[in-house]
Order: sequence, then structure tokens, then C-alpha cells
Amino acid sequence: MSEASLTSEPQGREPGIAPGVAAAGLSPLLRGGWVFWLAVAVLGAIFLAGLLSVVSLWQAGFAHRAPWGYYAAAFSILLSTVGAAPLVSAGLRFTGAHWRRPLARASELFAVAGLLILAWFWPLLRLVPASQPQSSLWFGWPGAPHLWDTLVIAGLTLCGLALLYVGAIPDFAAARDQGARGRRLFALLALSWQGGERQWRALRAALTALGACYFLAFVLAQTLISTDFAQSLVPGWQDSLFPAYNVVSGLQGGLATLIVVLFLVRWWGGLGAYIGREQFWALGKLLLALCLLWFYFWWSGFIVLWYGRRPIEELVLQLFIAGPYLWAFLPAFVLSFLAPFLVLLWNGVRRSILGPTFAALLVLAGLLFDRIRLYVAAFSVEEAGPVLQALPAPRLPQAGDWLVLAAAVAGVALLYLLATRLIPSLSRWEVAEGEQLRVERAFLRRKVTVIAKPD
Amino acid sequence: MAKELLLALCQDAPSAARAVEALERAGFPREEYEILSGAPYPEGAFGEKPVKHRVYVFPFVGALSGFTVALLLTVGTQLSFPLVTGGKPILALPPMFIIAYEATLLGAIIFTVIGVLFEMRLPRPGLGLYDRRITGGYLGVLVSCPEARRPQAEAALKEAGVLEIKRHPDIRQRW
Repeated sequence: MSEASLTSEPQGREPGIAPGVAAAGLSPLLRGGWVFWLAVAVLGAIFLAGLLSVVSLWQAGFAHRAPWGYYAAAFSILLSTVGAAPLVSAGLRFTGAHWRRPLARASELFAVAGLLILAWFWPLLRLVPASQPQSSLWFGWPGAPHLWDTLVIAGLTLCGLALLYVGAIPDFAAARDQGARGRRLFALLALSWQGGERQWRALRAALTALGACYFLAFVLAQTLISTDFAQSLVPGWQDSLFPAYNVVSGLQGGLATLIVVLFLVRWWGGLGAYIGREQFWALGKLLLALCLLWFYFWWSGFIVLWYGRRPIEELVLQLFIAGPYLWAFLPAFVLSFLAPFLVLLWNGVRRSILGPTFAALLVLAGLLFDRIRLYVAAFSVEEAGPVLQALPAPRLPQAGDWLVLAAAVAGVALLYLLATRLIPSLSRWEVAEGEQLRVERAFLRRKVTVIAKPD
Repeated sequence: MAKELLLALCQDAPSAARAVEALERAGFPREEYEILSGAPYPEGAFGEKPVKHRVYVFPFVGALSGFTVALLLTVGTQLSFPLVTGGKPILALPPMFIIAYEATLLGAIIFTVIGVLFEMRLPRPGLGLYDRRITGGYLGVLVSCPEARRPQAEAALKEAGVLEIKRHPDIRQRW
């Protein structure tokens, strides 16, 4: 039987922007209902309360690192969640995954949180000595690690904001043209964009290049931060896999953050028509793969130290796994790997909206414990000799520490919410492009989606 | 000879394709018209030749510039103040590599941003001949032809059944 007799003509519409897509994401710009402003007020209050806690830390001084442990953990959590979230969109753009289109902007909007990451990083610089007696990456290099670590965090932030802004230029033009509130502001941001062929080609090429740069900057940022703000603070700790473990767990955290935010955007952001099971199912598969990678990298680092059995290696294992921070390691292991792996293993759960969201929440909780066990433990070491001699006492979170952690989350949520009032939360031009390339057609006794791949 | 601008507004992509065909039949070379749209179309969808841009050159130039600066900085400073640290060589490659990586990356990012704005010819002083309905789903065929051939272009576009032909920018659309 020929193919022609098996199938019918596609039941699509004429190419062009569907009316719904043309207006999508533009209505909330520069507006906010009472729920929005209530959320802003609550988040702002939490953020300010956390800031007060940071001020009290500041007043206590920088002579001792231990009280700053949870602040450092919060920084690493920010870098490993919202710092990694824009990578999801950039990575999927490389692979040409069409299902990423509705989530691209939600992912890239996290770039605004880079400003908080940069600000949060600043006090940490005072806690790391310029010339460390123990070995570090830097060999006593001038300005290290302060100048160079700041540059890489600033570069990551700059790249993220450029990625967000360049991708949003056509949507700013739409807001300018479609009568959105604040037309003059959007006209300024759109830079007289017209939508010519040359502009579209240049835009897509730039998004690919900036996405690649963001990935490279993220890897370096995680490598330097994990080395300078954890590894080199524990004298004698040598683990070449630790920075790579931070990168992988950061990617896992970024993906989990995006899944949770997509769930919220779907229900409360009015984008339920665009973000559906297709996106959650596909992201759930990626999350499952990253859970396995988490275990692989953790195990590879662990087994080398466990086999080595030198006194310092035994102390390091005690410090981060079996000793004073066992209370943080166990939930980190279960929530970052075991539980989400067992949840996402099931097809039915993975192929839903709630399943991947639940697994993502588990992963985020696991990341919280993981970063506490790593950074609070590392910051609690006050020894400066060549090799760690004794385990420090465990440092359980106090009320002020919880406030600091809450401030990090509230600060990000606040920035994200405010950004959605300036930048459309749906990349309408990417969605419109995708709509042109897909049609429903009959195949035997069922309907299938056919996606064109012009490239 | 002075160039004249015309903007033909089409309701959908097939009518824009018909307008392009009509211009081709009337003997207008491809360089004299451009499609304006609210979303990108696959390259060649309207029979156009691939658009050449140099966006990819900019990150490489930036990366090379950044790498060169980093190399000069690291080698220059270390040779100018040759302090042996922990028995390591004066030109210590691991920290040099990190600084070179950072500078290369920063150069690539900054040049990419400059490059994309240059290649998109943005920012411009004004919108020029444009119609706001383009971002709402309509398409524009922007023709730039010698003044003497304007009537011919208008006739071809009318024959193709375009919705509207504009010759002058809307003064309310300066932005």
C-alpha cells in the first residue's frame, strides 16, 4: 500500500502567526493585579528579613568563616539552580528540540537572577585569603582568587543578560506595535527592530553563540567557586572530580528549578495553552539522566578517597559524609538521586505534569542539603595548616541561617516576578515559528503530529 | 539614481509569496526587496537566496583578542616580576590557563553582542517604512527600487493582491 493511501492531507492552518500567539505574553507587561503585588510584598519582606540577618553577620565580622557557612551554601545553591536554568534553553536550542520553544523564555528569564548572584558573591570575597598557605589552583597569582572569581561571575551574569535581551528584542517590538502599556519603553528596548530576513538570521546565530558562551562560563564559574570556596578551605583535600560534580549537580538543580517554575507559570502565569505534558515529559527524561549522572560523579569522587585511605582522605570522608554532616548527607543522597530516580523510573509518572514536578522538588530539596554539607562543612574548618588534623564541630542551622537561605529564594522569586512585567514570559516569536512547522495529520486510524525540519 | 521605498502589506505568508513571485516576474532582482515578518520563516521559504551574515566571526575575533590580552598579561607580568612560588615554574600553566579561558570567554561574549547589533543594523534612528501589523501576523514586502521603476513595482504588487501599499513612513511610527 502506498504512503499516499495511508495518510491524508495535513490538517494545519496557513503559515503565519496564529492570533493567539501574536498576543500571548503581552497582556501582563507593566501591569500587576493585587495577587501579584501581594506576592511582591511578601517576597520583599522575606528578602529584607534575610538581609537583616546578613547585616548581623557582617557586623560580627569576617575574622571567622564558620558563621558565614550557610551564606556560602546559599550562594552555591543560587549558582546551581537559577544560574544553571538558562542553560536548559540554550542547550535545547543547540539540539533543535522544537518542544523547548514555549519554555525558552521562562528559562532565560532566570538570567536576571544573575544580578543577585553577583551581589551575593561580594561579601564572600572577604572570607577567602588572598594567598592561601594550602595548595590552590592559583600558585599565588596576583589578584587570585578575588579578581578572577569576580570576573567569571560577572561574565556569567553579562552573558545571561545578553542572551535574555537579544532573544527578547522581537517581543519588545511586538509590545511596541501591539499597543502594550509603556509603548515608548518597549520601543526603546526594541531598537527599531523591523523583522527583516537578515535580522532574523543574525538573531538566531547570536543566540546560539551566546548560549555556547553561557555554558562555558557556567562550567568555569562552578569549577572556580567549588575549588576556591570549598576545596581549598579544607587543608589537604584533593579531589579532581569535585568541580565536575558541582557542574553536574548544578545542571540537575537548574533543570529542576525550571520544571518547578514551568509548573507555576502553567497554572498561574496563564501559559497553560503552550506549556503542557510534552514539555514536562521531555524534561523529566533529562532529569532522570541527570539523577544518574549525579550518582556517577558522586560515586567516582567517593570511591577514590575510600580506597586511598590516607588519614586526610578518611578525615575528608568523615567531614562530608559520615561524620558531623551525616544529617545533611543522607537526605542529600536520597533526595538528589534515589528518590527522584525511583519516581521518574515509571513511564506513567514521567509522562505527566505532576510526576516530573514532584521529582524536581525532591531534587531541589536534595541540593539544599548537599550544598549545606559541602559549604557549611568547608567553612567550618578554621585550620590553616597543610593537612586537616581534626574534624570541626557540626554547625546546625540557626534561625538567622534559615532567614539567609529564605532570602536567597525570595530574592530570586522577586526578581523573576518583576522581570515578567517587563519581558514577555513567552518567547512568542519562537512559538510562532514552531507553530508554522508542525501540523496534525491522519496516519491510518490515528492522528499524528508532523514536525518539519527545514534545517 | 534615487531609490524609492515601497512597503506592501500582506495578510499571510502565501500572499507574501505571491507578491514576491510577481516582483520576480516583473524583473526586480532579489536584492531590491525584503520580507518583514513577526516570526522567522525557514530560509528560502519565499524563494530568497540565503542571507549572508558574519555573526559567527565576531565571537571568534573576540575570543582571539581576549586570549591574546590574557597571554600578554600573564606572561608579561610573570616575566617582569619573576617570583618563584612553592617551587612552581615562573610561567605556571594552570593559573595561566584559567585566566586565558576567562579573557577568551569575556572577549567572545562582548564581541558577540557588538556583532549581533552590527549585523542586525541596530539601533537605528527610526523605524522607517514599516507597519505595526507586521508583529501581529501580517507580512511586509519592502521594495527598494529606482524611482523610475516604482510604478512597475506597484503594479506587480497590486496584481498579486496585496492588502495595502505604503510609500511614506507613518509619522506616528518614528519609534
